[in-house]
Amino acid sequence: MSSYLKTNKFFVAVLVLSLIIGGLTFSNLPGPATSLSVQTVNGVNYNFADYGSLTHEQLALFNYLDTIVSQEYQPYGNWSGWNAELFAGLHHYVLAFMSYATAGLFESTPGYRTDYYRNFAYDLIKKMNTTVAEFNDTSIEYREWMNPSYGFSQYHYPNATNSSDLYVGGYRGPANIMWTAHYALMMELYERNFLTGELASEIGWYVRDWNNTLTTDGYGNSKEGGIFGVGLIPCEPYIVFVQCNSIPIYTTELYDNLYDTSYMDSGIWDYGLDFINTTMQDGNGLFTDGYYTMEPVGFHYPSEGPPPTFPGLALDRVMLDGRPRVSSYCNAWSLAFLEYTQPEETIKDYPVFVDLYGKDLSADKMYMVDSYYYPSRFGTYDILGSLFTLALAKQRGDVSTRDRILNFLYGSFNKQWSADGRTLYYDTASLEPFLQAVLAFGWIWGTTPVTIRNLADARPSAFWGYPYISHADDDNMWVYQAQWNPVKEGFVLNIRVDQLSTLTFSNFDHVPTAYSGGSAMAQLTTSGADYTLSLQPGTYNIVIV
Amino acid sequence: MSEGNSQGKKHALLERLRIQSWKEALWTVIFSFIGAVIYLVVALIPMPYTMVSLFKLGLAPALAVIPAAGAMRGPIAGLLTGYIGEVVHVLIITGGIVTATLPALAYGIMGFVVGLARYDFARGRSLGKLSLLSALGFVMAAVLILAIGLMVEHSGTLATIGFVFLPLVTVGLPSVVLLAPVFGRIGHLALKGLNLGGIVSR
Repeated sequence: MSSYLKTNKFFVAVLVLSLIIGGLTFSNLPGPATSLSVQTVNGVNYNFADYGSLTHEQLALFNYLDTIVSQEYQPYGNWSGWNAELFAGLHHYVLAFMSYATAGLFESTPGYRTDYYRNFAYDLIKKMNTTVAEFNDTSIEYREWMNPSYGFSQYHYPNATNSSDLYVGGYRGPANIMWTAHYALMMELYERNFLTGELASEIGWYVRDWNNTLTTDGYGNSKEGGIFGVGLIPCEPYIVFVQCNSIPIYTTELYDNLYDTSYMDSGIWDYGLDFINTTMQDGNGLFTDGYYTMEPVGFHYPSEGPPPTFPGLALDRVMLDGRPRVSSYCNAWSLAFLEYTQPEETIKDYPVFVDLYGKDLSADKMYMVDSYYYPSRFGTYDILGSLFTLALAKQRGDVSTRDRILNFLYGSFNKQWSADGRTLYYDTASLEPFLQAVLAFGWIWGTTPVTIRNLADARPSAFWGYPYISHADDDNMWVYQAQWNPVKEGFVLNIRVDQLSTLTFSNFDHVPTAYSGGSAMAQLTTSGADYTLSLQPGTYNIVIV
Repeated sequence: MSEGNSQGKKHALLERLRIQSWKEALWTVIFSFIGAVIYLVVALIPMPYTMVSLFKLGLAPALAVIPAAGAMRGPIAGLLTGYIGEVVHVLIITGGIVTATLPALAYGIMGFVVGLARYDFARGRSLGKLSLLSALGFVMAAVLILAIGLMVEHSGTLATIGFVFLPLVTVGLPSVVLLAPVFGRIGHLALKGLNLGGIVSR
């Protein structure tokens, strides 16, 4: 042995060093895949791969989000753990898109509807609706609208300072689609996923307000193009964006589907859709980023190049040669949310978008440049555009692009698991701590099996009569799959249990039996009108019939 | 005399490239394809890593396959192993071509540079030379990839440096320095065990 070492010193040295370095850096491997079996119960075949499923990491990321959202951990007006001190004005976007991402997670296991998911969704909405009266400058109302530097509070249209003109300055009013639409959609997805009825009336108020804004002059007279003349609603009192208006368009679609109304058929958004598909376009058939309906108060004209026209397209702030502003985040967001309404546009535009904005970094990494006018720049908006493209690429079935962007966004951060193994986040402190919450929901948004387009459809009314898990020891379990098959009349449950846990099932019309591996493992226990199943620690693929 | 000298130089060059006869050239091509397949298989395995601030630390064994192939069978084998392996890798991951396959060519150049020297895989000094030349070839490849990103792909400067060049260097450099001699030695022993040692020996 010693003679071998003497004659092979270098070989042994590099081999040992390789093992040491490999050992010291052994982390951040991809999480385990969810185990999916095939079982035959009473002659009926159940292939678990046919049902929506979540991974252990997706659930751990959600558990992390719960710790910075739920009232159980902090009051609604508190931002502890958000690393958002320097990002006033962005909080409401994070809340909104976190809501959309997690709505897809909930929909992936539609038969698991305990307080755990429902309370999270509810607390997000409450956090979005924090007021100055209750939370002062930590409220969303202050950070998104009331901050004195914005000057939005008192605002009239078309003359901002003429109090005789139409008042559009209210926080919840007709010139604040960047909050009203997100808030309404968050509530709507809550009702879509949990059907409590509690928020239906408030959602309806917003949809009616948009209808008024888009089809009248604000004084009760019918007007084509609505108050602002373009069939769209401003984000700030003087500029409209395709991306922001894609949210109320999507919300109106879902509202019609949920409450059997016909706002879309009535043409509420027809003028605006035509406007974005014709006027707010660049030379490549993609959307431009912003259109001024009037000159903003205190507008700073560019030092060189042609001045902007009002009303007119927002111009690029760097090129200063009169070309319209374009951005990847605007297009990714818009194409994703508008696909339900105009699928042919998104399907046609998507490859053009990826080709124009996508930048190959390596075989396994790419990102979306903020603007294709100046691709050599790199900053926050490139990351933002890449983040939105995750959801769009998934929706378009472009797994390669989705995965390469995931590698770009997440490959530079360590995974941080909690000591008890319940929560996970990506530690972004070395680059930007604010990204921590964003990347947590971003992973969920980009990887769960449910798309934005899927969520625009309401669940069939029969769904609410299907058996489901109504109560459980949520803190002790990982629910990877939970779905009732109405045709086979069986409940598919894929679950890991860390400690002895009990699940309560509602809506079964008989005493059900749980099967594992095709063999009966237990009959559920009757508990009032419900049935309970207790599970020892372990991982199970169960069919309950 | 000069014609004979020229012929000798030509033969030496062909021998260095391991294509001095049809049979040798065929072996070089076969070896390259096997090397590319090994590179591809290893490259597709997710590797662990740890971030220390903005620095990515870990090993990328696939990168070490390229200089090892060059060291074992000469510059053309190194070039083809890196180029073909990475092109197919890109094809599998993206379904297309990235930057006209230029980054793959940079990997190939690393194998080519390493393959220009002769090695005795039984001697530690020679393995040390393989480590050094692997580092040299790798740095050339990394700089080329940086230049391709900035000047051909026109990616963001910060993105190219921060998300490509920096992790490539911090992971790739120790990988080729440490693992290329390991793979070269093991490959050499494996071929000897198969009575194919002549493919490698110089």
